[in-house]
Amino acid sequence: MDRELLIEIGCEEIPAGWLPGLTAQLARHLDARLKEARLTTDAPTESYSTPRRLTARVVKLAERQTDFEELMTGPPLTAAYKPGGEPTSAAVGFARKYGVDVTALEKHETPKGTYLAYRVHQRGKATVDVLAEVMGGLLRDLTFPKQMRWDAHLEDGRGDLVFARPIRWLVLMYGGRVVPFVIRRTETAQGSNVQDIRSGSQTYGHRFLTTSGRAGRAIKIKTFDDYQARLLENFVILDRAERESRIRRELETHARRMGGRVSGLVAAHSSLLQEVPDLVEYPSVVGGHFPVEFLQLPEEVLTTTMIHHQHYFPVVDEKGELKPAFLAVTNTQPEKPEIIARNAERVLTARLRDARFFWDADRKVTLESRIDRLSTILFHKKLGTYREKAERVAALARWIAKTAFGQSDEVAHHAERAGRLCKADLSTDMVRELTELQGTMGGIYAREEGEPETVWKAIYFHYLPIGVEADAPPSRQQLGAASVTWAAVSLADKLDSMIGMFAAGERPTGSRDPLGLRRQAQGAVKILADLPELTGVTARIALWGLVMQAASPWGFPAEAQQVARMFVRERVIYLFEQRGFDVRNIRAVVPLALERFDIVEARKKLEALAQLGGSEALRGVATLFKRVKNITRDAPPVSADILAHLKEPAEVTLRSELESRAPEIRNAAARGEYREAFAAIAALQPATAKFFDDVLVMTEDEQLRHARLALVAALRDLILEIADISEIVAEG
Amino acid sequence: MTFQDLILKLSAFWASHGCLLQQPLDLEVGAGTSHPETLFRVLGPKPWSVAYVQPSRRPDDGRFGQNPNRLFKHHQYQVILKPSPDDVQQLYLDSLEACGINPRQHDIRFEEDNWESPTLGAWGIGWQVMLDGLEITQFTYFQQVGGIDLQPISCEITYGLERIAMFLQRVDNVFDLEWGGGVKYGEVRLQEEIDQSKYAFGQVDMPAEAFARLHRDLFDQYYGLSERLLASGLIWPALEHCLKCSHLFNILDSSGSIGVTERTAYILRVRQLAVRIARAYVEDPLAVPEGL
Repeated sequence: MDRELLIEIGCEEIPAGWLPGLTAQLARHLDARLKEARLTTDAPTESYSTPRRLTARVVKLAERQTDFEELMTGPPLTAAYKPGGEPTSAAVGFARKYGVDVTALEKHETPKGTYLAYRVHQRGKATVDVLAEVMGGLLRDLTFPKQMRWDAHLEDGRGDLVFARPIRWLVLMYGGRVVPFVIRRTETAQGSNVQDIRSGSQTYGHRFLTTSGRAGRAIKIKTFDDYQARLLENFVILDRAERESRIRRELETHARRMGGRVSGLVAAHSSLLQEVPDLVEYPSVVGGHFPVEFLQLPEEVLTTTMIHHQHYFPVVDEKGELKPAFLAVTNTQPEKPEIIARNAERVLTARLRDARFFWDADRKVTLESRIDRLSTILFHKKLGTYREKAERVAALARWIAKTAFGQSDEVAHHAERAGRLCKADLSTDMVRELTELQGTMGGIYAREEGEPETVWKAIYFHYLPIGVEADAPPSRQQLGAASVTWAAVSLADKLDSMIGMFAAGERPTGSRDPLGLRRQAQGAVKILADLPELTGVTARIALWGLVMQAASPWGFPAEAQQVARMFVRERVIYLFEQRGFDVRNIRAVVPLALERFDIVEARKKLEALAQLGGSEALRGVATLFKRVKNITRDAPPVSADILAHLKEPAEVTLRSELESRAPEIRNAAARGEYREAFAAIAALQPATAKFFDDVLVMTEDEQLRHARLALVAALRDLILEIADISEIVAEG
Repeated sequence: MTFQDLILKLSAFWASHGCLLQQPLDLEVGAGTSHPETLFRVLGPKPWSVAYVQPSRRPDDGRFGQNPNRLFKHHQYQVILKPSPDDVQQLYLDSLEACGINPRQHDIRFEEDNWESPTLGAWGIGWQVMLDGLEITQFTYFQQVGGIDLQPISCEITYGLERIAMFLQRVDNVFDLEWGGGVKYGEVRLQEEIDQSKYAFGQVDMPAEAFARLHRDLFDQYYGLSERLLASGLIWPALEHCLKCSHLFNILDSSGSIGVTERTAYILRVRQLAVRIARAYVEDPLAVPEGL
């Protein structure tokens, strides 16, 4: 009979950000462990979490393991018997290993010959007898962004049991009965107040709240339904979705009561609503106010203080303007919510008072005169101070605007100015206190000083974009007049960090990426990929040209260039993958050498390929193109003289097709009309196919062979100008 | 509850839970962690539970007595429990209740906040404890000190005394706290804050260069002395002089006397010394009576 399995790992508060991942891990690893233990279930494993528990439930788990049968292969028959038919010592030894007589062995036919074999048959054990091993494996399987030692180990000989936070209790029940399991404590720690954790049938509710008895006492449970109900009685909502909807509901109600609604910024600029359900077991909302005079502070300062520092939700009026009010999600059902509200108000007001002090003090010193102070702030030990960085970024931003983007001197000048000032806010008190506002504050202070929009917004947004999606902020609308200067400064800042690090011989590894170079590179690649839409700049931009310009203040050894090239190429591929393009098409349009590579063009090619997805003709050319590439590795250079030797109808046709299609393909590519270009390539299919059917390229006649190779090479070169289409039919 | 009542309550609570009541380290330090009662005692296997107040100096936080929340010198109440008992969180919550904070009337949360001290080669895992949105305590399970893996794991509970007292007394300016017997915190400490801030930011009647040179010299001399003491196997005084260097570095930093590259080099030097001292403590059989 199938019975219910219930596991609860009772913990001290697990970091909120880890819970969604851990909940998924718990179900996945438990499923795998049950499967490995040959325990069958007919419903998916359910998993739950609150800050103080990780819970898993299997509704129906088989009472026994499935039986186990395995054929163990012994010596080959030829080595198993002596000429007289007596078993050899090899055969006897094999039989002894399984405790049987040689006569109990069977013969097993394989393609390599016949072998002696023994069929091991093992009846499945009772589930209760294997669950302890499953539990041990499960505890070992879970991984954490940062793990801790807490003087615990398992009896599996694998040493310390690291975990997210100390485990304080463990529920392990099958069919309503406890399955014995123990987490041991290290000898040096063990004592009257440091004890082994033994599995039981007791859970714990909210630390401070209960409907009956003493809060925080042990609660005996029987089944999952009973467990969930008892937890609720003791102020723990097990289901995260329920906590979240309760939070949303209460936020709305309270905001309405305050005459407003929750600011949309919460959804746009932070993961606050994602995080709070994992910070609480029993959420309720309290509302508070702050003195109206603080509304004179920039909105960014107010919302950052509320959202990032206090986890409070800002409230706005019907026009979207901030009200002097906030909502806090608490982990309690307060007897007197006004006490918590007053305290929260005091904390927030103190923070805002600090912020106002910074706002007033910072504006007494201009950004320009802060540049000197940047020489006391280290950017990176190999790359100097922020002052030096600002100078490099200014020069590079100017070059990008003027030379790469082909903009006027005035635009280039504004890009340079924004680049020069973009790091100045690092010396302001506001940014030292609210580091999330770097860039943003610089932009705001520049605006206050009367810098034009092209300058202040370029500073304001220069740390963006973060994501690689086409609609990752900032939008063109947000950028307004500053779109070109912003692109120049943001690119300059990112390329400078990235290439500087490579030039200095540093490179990010799997786990170590201190300056966030991957994200910086992705940001740069994202700007370039969407440059026309974001800025209206339609000039073709050679990615590698930007890299080399960014490297100009440094020596850039060939080896470092190679590393940088691979790294940038990977980021380009990552962006296209994230945007859902077929990985084969991506390989076709992103070459190994980046010297002439233009991301916008590659993007357009991918869009065209995606539209032409089912074109049989194009796939046909692509399939033939593999052969073309193979046979033309050592082809002689193409010339009209050589081609004059061609005479077979199929080869003459291909030549004339090629000559008439080439301008069509090149023109379409020059206009960025890649659908047209690929369609023209696809139109080469019949002639190419007929050529390979009718003509033997590797003929004895040397002159003719050269002519045919040259023809095929011409075809190859023409197509490679657009893409290496052999990749689009590659496997996998 | 006055500032001194709060100290008395916490002391009585932790003494009744088996902690020795120690006294503050009589040197300039930035946190209770630097006290040998923490730094040394958490090393090695010997159980040790201790509680003490530690006046903690953060030159960079000096505000000339003008900021209602920020101080050159604040007071930490430091508790070390080694090994960390299974009910340590409940004990902590009970200690708050002993100070008059009823957890049923407030929102108390343990939010992820790990601790790391590059200069001590130390790190730990833990939380900041939030009381109605106010951070009142740093709660840390030490994992490494002086680059050495700890076993058993110690728990460090660091209460911010001024913050908790301000919460209890409902005052918005630290200098308005009642220290005891009707005497205000400002009466006790305001002038000290002003003077210390001036010193920390180099507002001294001597040229900036001479100020910097003097402090560099002091750093080098204490550093050399600490190394000699260490070589002589005198681990306690070696640590004390290492801590002197740490404080002098903070003064050099807050007064703008050192450049960036130098700054990193100073941090590294202090760490190297601290790590050597911690190693020496662990290896010294007299210093660790049981085990090893």
